[in-house]
Amino acid sequence: MLRVLLIDDTPRKVGRLRTALIEAGFDVIEESRLTIDLQERMETLRPDVVLIDTDSPGRDVMEQVVMVSRDQPRPIVMFTNDKDPELMRQAIRAGVSAYIVEGIQAQRLKPILDVAMARFESDQAIRAQLQARERQLVERKRIELAKGILMKMRSCSEKDAYTLMRRQAMSRQQKLIQVAEQIVAMNELLEN
Amino acid sequence: MPLRNTHPRPDSLAWVAGSDAPELHAVDIGFMALTDAASLIVAATQDFARPYGLTLNLHRQHSWAGLRDKLIEGELHAAHALYGLIYSVHLGIGGGATSDMAVLMGLAQNGQSINLSSELMAAGVTDPEALHRCVRHSGAKLTLAQTFPTGTHALWLYYWLAAHGIHPIDDVRTVVVPPSQMVAHLCAGRIDGFCAGEPWGAQAVNDGQGFTIATSQSIWPDHPEKVLGCTRAFVDRYPNTARALVMAVLEASRFIEQSEENRRSTAQLIAGRGYVDAPITAVEPRLLGRYEDGLGHAWLDSHALRLFGDGEVNMPYHSDGLWFMTQLRRWGLLREDPDYLAVAQRVQQTGLYRDAATALNIPVSDSTMRSATLMDGSHWDGSDPAGYARSFALHALAGTAPIHKP
Repeated sequence: MLRVLLIDDTPRKVGRLRTALIEAGFDVIEESRLTIDLQERMETLRPDVVLIDTDSPGRDVMEQVVMVSRDQPRPIVMFTNDKDPELMRQAIRAGVSAYIVEGIQAQRLKPILDVAMARFESDQAIRAQLQARERQLVERKRIELAKGILMKMRSCSEKDAYTLMRRQAMSRQQKLIQVAEQIVAMNELLEN
Repeated sequence: MPLRNTHPRPDSLAWVAGSDAPELHAVDIGFMALTDAASLIVAATQDFARPYGLTLNLHRQHSWAGLRDKLIEGELHAAHALYGLIYSVHLGIGGGATSDMAVLMGLAQNGQSINLSSELMAAGVTDPEALHRCVRHSGAKLTLAQTFPTGTHALWLYYWLAAHGIHPIDDVRTVVVPPSQMVAHLCAGRIDGFCAGEPWGAQAVNDGQGFTIATSQSIWPDHPEKVLGCTRAFVDRYPNTARALVMAVLEASRFIEQSEENRRSTAQLIAGRGYVDAPITAVEPRLLGRYEDGLGHAWLDSHALRLFGDGEVNMPYHSDGLWFMTQLRRWGLLREDPDYLAVAQRVQQTGLYRDAATALNIPVSDSTMRSATLMDGSHWDGSDPAGYARSFALHALAGTAPIHKP
């Protein structure tokens, strides 16, 4: 069963979503107000989805969303009464997977959460691709640096430097980047 | 001066502008703990894909069936694969789901072996004739293991047994065991022999658990072995990624075969815990062509495992795909003749391979067919697959049983 962390940030009374969620077959953990430390609660409760019910998402709400989506990414669905398109954009930028204005009907909850989760998964895949790209760029610089050091020390060609580094890495059951790091570190040690 | 739009484009939209940059930055690749996964392991760890902006993430799999399922479900983008696995999924004859599949390139030729237990050796069953007598005259059926029901090792085992007059379905019992568990099964007496990729044959010999009665290259010198496989959907959706992947693996295979020293360091690398996880003494000799069969014979094999062979290994010939279909048909795994050539043309990605190899100045054959003479004298050139499938004395062809007159 999917665990939903429901955060009620409305002055109204609890419950406009709670019953509907339980009826739709979710396991609901409820928290009132965003005065809680969301990050900490996420860590202990490990919900599958976070649902925030708020009249109007203020700065502190957004702040918490940003932190959560950075450190413990989960699909976040926001229900609100605020139609301001700028606020909606801010919310999406902060990491909200779905922004739903008004009119919550019990039978709509399940598809909304399904879409939010699908959307979240696709965002995560894109994020993983971007992180891979960033790591590649960093590693590329280190390998280039190591290659340059080796070419100078051994007065060899670029191709030979690569071959030397690769053979060394393979004989030690390491990746090329690991050997490159060792060369760079050793060079720093010798230069200082 | 004319103004030009020099804004850098986000990579995800690069294809719109006709760029040939890979659509993905990271690719998940499955492999099995086998020596012939070497070019994938070297490509991924030694930075051969980085010039294309690609990171290869390797994922070791425990069984071919598990690898197949993850490939179909998309958890793996591409994988070290068996011809028989790719074609059985494509033709819908395996246990799993059916999906359009693709062979991007060949990864290896040769380097598999058929091994029998030390008990059979002690009983004097050390050559095919003795095995034939043993199968005919002993009461209990021998149990021989291969690695996947419709897989390459099943087909090598069947071919070799049949060439020696042993019917692989009627005369022996065959079971499926993951390659890395063969030696343990042999040791426990659960199987009498197995056909698998190295280093597991060498390991059985080194451990004194068995001996190598035949190498796969003695069945067909320079036979097609593992391939780089994926779903057809992956190639269609990410053609540039697929091409870059082929180029990276081609460069890694070229590097491995550049010198004996490179082969040796390759053996060191792949023997590691995260990869083949076997003693270097089992991995290195046969990777260098040095065979010992456990019966006192040692030789330098002229058709040992090769991963590149100046590109001869890597071209996904239509005829290679066709041959495996003829054997699936021969043993009744395919109930009827498929449209052999149409299927092979769809699965074997010769065009994509040609682009990749040409960009690296690696020679590519003009023909999509190659010919060979196998151990039993059968000649194969891909021209008449349906006829070839019917040309064998021993078979289990479905739908061709002789009609008995009342």
